[in-house]
Amino acid sequence: MIKVENLHKYFDQQHVLKGINFSVNKGEVVSILGPSGSGKSTLLRCVNFLEQPTNGIVEISGKRVNVESARKVDIQSLRLSTGMVFQQYNLFKNLTVLQNVMIGLTSVKNISSNEAKKVSAEILEKVGLQDRLEHYPVQLSGGQQQRVGIARALALNPEVLLFDEPTSSLDPELVGEVLTVIKEVAKEGNTMLIVTHELNFAREISDRIIFMENGMILEEGTAEQMFTNPSVERTKQFIGKVLKK
Amino acid sequence: MENLLDIHFLIESFPAIVTRLPITIGIAVGSLIISLFIGLTTALIKIYRVPVLKTISSFYVSFVRGTPLLVQIYLVFYGIPKVIYFFQTEYGWLLNIDVNIIAPEVYALLAFSINLGAYLSETIRSAIESVDRGQFEAAKAIGLSPTQMMLKIIFPQALSVAIPNLGNMFISTIKDTSLVFIIGVIDIMGQAKILGSRGLAFFEVYIAVSIIYWIICIIVERLLVIVEKRARRYERGVVS
Repeated sequence: MIKVENLHKYFDQQHVLKGINFSVNKGEVVSILGPSGSGKSTLLRCVNFLEQPTNGIVEISGKRVNVESARKVDIQSLRLSTGMVFQQYNLFKNLTVLQNVMIGLTSVKNISSNEAKKVSAEILEKVGLQDRLEHYPVQLSGGQQQRVGIARALALNPEVLLFDEPTSSLDPELVGEVLTVIKEVAKEGNTMLIVTHELNFAREISDRIIFMENGMILEEGTAEQMFTNPSVERTKQFIGKVLKK
Repeated sequence: MENLLDIHFLIESFPAIVTRLPITIGIAVGSLIISLFIGLTTALIKIYRVPVLKTISSFYVSFVRGTPLLVQIYLVFYGIPKVIYFFQTEYGWLLNIDVNIIAPEVYALLAFSINLGAYLSETIRSAIESVDRGQFEAAKAIGLSPTQMMLKIIFPQALSVAIPNLGNMFISTIKDTSLVFIIGVIDIMGQAKILGSRGLAFFEVYIAVSIIYWIICIIVERLLVIVEKRARRYERGVVS
């Protein structure tokens, strides 16, 4: 489904991704773990070109893009096959909850407003916000905003969902409701790539886990294997330290 | 003893001055509309760092902000006919324009648009740049085109930031239009001047015209409060 080959990213002189290779199969849930500054968010943002990668290949459902020669249509096609959930939610502040979810359908997919409204309302019901349709983002709690963020990403029915630390800016008591929704989404067989600091959540939800440090993938494996018996000392150390907290 | 004011003359001058109100309002509103286009274009040129055009627009903004409006009005009024005439005689271009029949109102409208456009450019640019980066990213991530992103997400949010500033500039422009009589436009100020010299009652007519300006500005301020409230409705934290 997603395949990343030898991906590099430089910010000026700083080499933040140093030849990343990984793939995610259809229906698989993969979490990327690692300390702050390891490049995991950058990696996620390179997949849909919110950051322009320096070189390498990004492939999503058979569409191969050499990042150095990526044209606008290539970037657009990667963006259309991915849906992204942001750490800061990034809901469109000037639009209501319903409009936030609808806008991709009406403006990008050219679906009629009535149809889009119906689809969006259904998705919002799934994330438990059916009674907040006409609210503006500022009138919602962080947890509610992030659930709208998930609904907005789901609405376009993307091949892959990208989650960039979806619970990192939430108050602790709101984390649960968002994680519950993400689990639901995973159960439905969506392909998901998640950058997170919630280790227990990652363990529970993921088919596979990728551990990153210093712009490189140190280790990857099934969730059980990574948590119970990681082969790299650094992974053991990181997981041990974070779980003890 | 002579009266301080000829109250009768003052009151009677109102209706005569008000007949020229469409000129004042027309120049102010017309130049606001044109300058919004100029301001938006130059702001986008600056934001997207378009080569060459970027240099031209910062030269334009710098020149307009660094020279008096009065001088700019004269430059437009005397300069444009000369430039058109030059093109006609040297190159045979623009032959369908007769510089002798261009109304002074047109020059006034042009001068004010050029002036206000430069000021709006900076206001619009900073308003667009004040929109959270995450809004741009989310728009790109769901696949909106740059135009859709600007029109549906960024401009509405930038507008609510810019409105107080735009409003102040518009009010200044309304008052600045009182300069247009110097190129022969008879606006409310020009009309007041004429009435004043006819009746030798300058103090009276200028009181009358200042009251008219004042009332217009109060009305515009009220309208702005309503417009701003509407543009910012999504920023209210309370559920309505």
